Amino acid sequence: MANNKFMTTVSPHLHEKGQTIDRAMKDVLLALAPAGVWAIIVFGFQAILVMAVSIITAMLSEVVVRKILGRKSSLSDLSAVLTGLFLAFLLPVTTPLWVVAIGAFLAVGVAKELFGGLGKNIFNPALFGRVALMISPLWLYIAKFVKPFWYTANGVNWFTPITTSINNGVAGRVVFKTLAGTTKVNVVTSATPLSLLKSGRMLANTVSGATPVGATWITSSGRPSFWSMALGLKAGSMGEVSVLLLLLGGLYLIYRRTIDWRIPVGVLCGALFIFLITWNHPVYQMLSGGIWLGAFFMATDWVTSPMTKRGKWIYAVGIGVFIGLIRLVSPLPEGVAIAILIWNALTLVLDRYVAEPKFGEIKKPWFNRVPVLPKPKPAAQKA
Amino acid sequence: MSNQGYKTFKGGIHPPYNKELASGKAITPAPIPSELVIPLNQHIGAPNNPLVSPGDRVKVGQKIGETDAFVSAPVHSSVAGTVKAVEDIKNFTGAMVKSVIITADSDQPPFEAKEMKPLADLSADEIKQIAKEAGLTGMGGAAFPTHVKLSPPKDKPVDSVLINACECEPFLTCDHRLMLERPVDLVEGLKLLMRAVDAEKGVIGIEANKMDAVEKVRSAVSAEPSIEVEILDVKYPEGSEKQLIAAVTGRKVPPGKLPSEVGCLVQNVGTAIALYEAASTGKPLYERVLTVTGHAIKNPSNFLVKVGTPISVLIEAAGGLADNATKLIMGGPMTGWAQEEPTANVVKGTSGILALPPDLVDVREEHGCVRCTKCVEACPMYLMPNYIVDAVQKEDWAKAELWGAIDCFECGVCSYTCPAYIPHVSYVRKAKAQIAALKKR
Repeated sequence: MANNKFMTTVSPHLHEKGQTIDRAMKDVLLALAPAGVWAIIVFGFQAILVMAVSIITAMLSEVVVRKILGRKSSLSDLSAVLTGLFLAFLLPVTTPLWVVAIGAFLAVGVAKELFGGLGKNIFNPALFGRVALMISPLWLYIAKFVKPFWYTANGVNWFTPITTSINNGVAGRVVFKTLAGTTKVNVVTSATPLSLLKSGRMLANTVSGATPVGATWITSSGRPSFWSMALGLKAGSMGEVSVLLLLLGGLYLIYRRTIDWRIPVGVLCGALFIFLITWNHPVYQMLSGGIWLGAFFMATDWVTSPMTKRGKWIYAVGIGVFIGLIRLVSPLPEGVAIAILIWNALTLVLDRYVAEPKFGEIKKPWFNRVPVLPKPKPAAQKA
Repeated sequence: MSNQGYKTFKGGIHPPYNKELASGKAITPAPIPSELVIPLNQHIGAPNNPLVSPGDRVKVGQKIGETDAFVSAPVHSSVAGTVKAVEDIKNFTGAMVKSVIITADSDQPPFEAKEMKPLADLSADEIKQIAKEAGLTGMGGAAFPTHVKLSPPKDKPVDSVLINACECEPFLTCDHRLMLERPVDLVEGLKLLMRAVDAEKGVIGIEANKMDAVEKVRSAVSAEPSIEVEILDVKYPEGSEKQLIAAVTGRKVPPGKLPSEVGCLVQNVGTAIALYEAASTGKPLYERVLTVTGHAIKNPSNFLVKVGTPISVLIEAAGGLADNATKLIMGGPMTGWAQEEPTANVVKGTSGILALPPDLVDVREEHGCVRCTKCVEACPMYLMPNYIVDAVQKEDWAKAELWGAIDCFECGVCSYTCPAYIPHVSYVRKAKAQIAALKKR
């Protein structure tokens, strides 16, 4: 008995069962599954291709960049898979696959690995990839949306590949490449609910009711109905369209304690507050765009959100308010991605300066001051 | 397991408790080994000087180490025998401590009870003196001298004495057994503690996973209007001093302060019973009850053990180790010390010996922090464990203090729940040592 040496580590000697990084990533993947399946149902086989290219490029980028930087492989933590899927969710199904691949590389290779790897990155990698594409010349390729079930039109089917064509440097149309090899230019290009709002067309009752600019199936007086927007029968990025399925996944993550409920609640309330005080179609706004994907899945990213409760509230409400302001004041129709990235950058500031009272601290200061300790002698530092 | 609706504190974790391994086993005396190693320093405070030299005969309960310093507790021989040597021996933490090695006689006479004053006639100062003479320390793990705790500053009157009967560490059952088998002694000990600090109220806080003990202790206090039994949520670290006070009284001890700041005194079950024994028979603290348990122990047991007994003797008495024993721990699984070999010796603060099989030993390579905030949510002191780690890695000791390194009591909930498997406690210990060294200059 005394011959064998036992393992010695510092206490504690127990670890919570299943509390691992990859378990959390699996949880998020599972929570995204309903919205992912919905994307495949409404946008066709091309949605699978976009997701596959995004995930595979994300994984390859991680392997290659880590190899170059001399780091150990970290594929098993699944974070690259998740980032790849997130990026696909943020893109329209019409994005050319090579643009998807560039976005995935920017997300994982640059935003995550060049910042130091999982845990060190300042920005949410998938959002970084999306916004990097948006402000690059490639923005033309990610600006065209199609309406759900576009493949029910004449001459096309669920398997028909679909992509954005560029004519003379202008985002042209959505084109189909049928199996016969012919290229058809079709009329299924659609405005998203938010671009409708921005261009003021939503309010025009005169838009013909039959195909109300193709935004949705279900309409009421020329605009998408609230029900169609909640269910996901609207144009948009692949993963953002179904509010109900995103809510389902988000509630699962809160139940699993993988994400903190404060962040989605803060984001949604902050945005709603802005739309209410400006009385800017609050329900329509809240059901549009990436608010729910952002609130439950993007803003809650562990690495890029604050650590303290106070910090989380400031961060979350800040994102919500910024979403509202960007949509209302800026020329952009949508602001979720940019709002979250701005607050990602402020996260370290919130952590550093917003003080959380310790146990038994009666006065609750709001700002941290660093206690002053005598400087160690150079010799002491080595010890 | 989630909250059960009893009083509790904010934060903490719900580990698997595995108490059923040993909770049904009555306390039995452990075998007395032929040779015992009694460290002269088993407490927090000034070290003792040896009172014996090699060749001396010692009796059971004879004082063998003492010092004039106030924050200290004398040490007594746990057996009748001959002093073999007084030398530095590695203790359970790996530190070298001057220890008295005693060869036990094959024939052990029982302890001779001394003539003592009736309990009811003892004054506060007399009780403190008894606690000091008996070498009483906290028996939950930290081993702080009891008479020091019983002497709070004059301007901080204590109104409540709390008995920590939570036993929130998984696996351990020694306090549970003491409550089942000696509830009256516990209550007598509590009454002495209350008189020593002139407190009008006594509370025994028991976690809800020991309802049989609640029943026993409740019937023992039925005639004591000033003593209550409070059932508490099963949550770790419910039995930490500050968390117990917060759960029972709602008062929060400020950072860096002692329980007397909010009019409380906390003592462990074992300590209260030891005080009762010392006051009624003059018996010093030379033996204690501890649990030998874990899935890799063949026959988990609760033993009454002589201080100085090598743990290998106790493991043998509990049926020995299973072949798959991977980790051997002195103390509880959350705060105990992993032992490379079963060579350490029992001290006053040893509450258990634990052998874990591989499936309970989940040790992995440390990943960088992913900022999931699990540690911040679990921390019962509301600190920033991951930022302490970050500050230590950068050797920024001022930041380590800002994030609360010196307020940490090393309960380990941060590492327990950390998906990146960061050993926060080892970083905190490093920070504490550095901050203390810098402040001393």
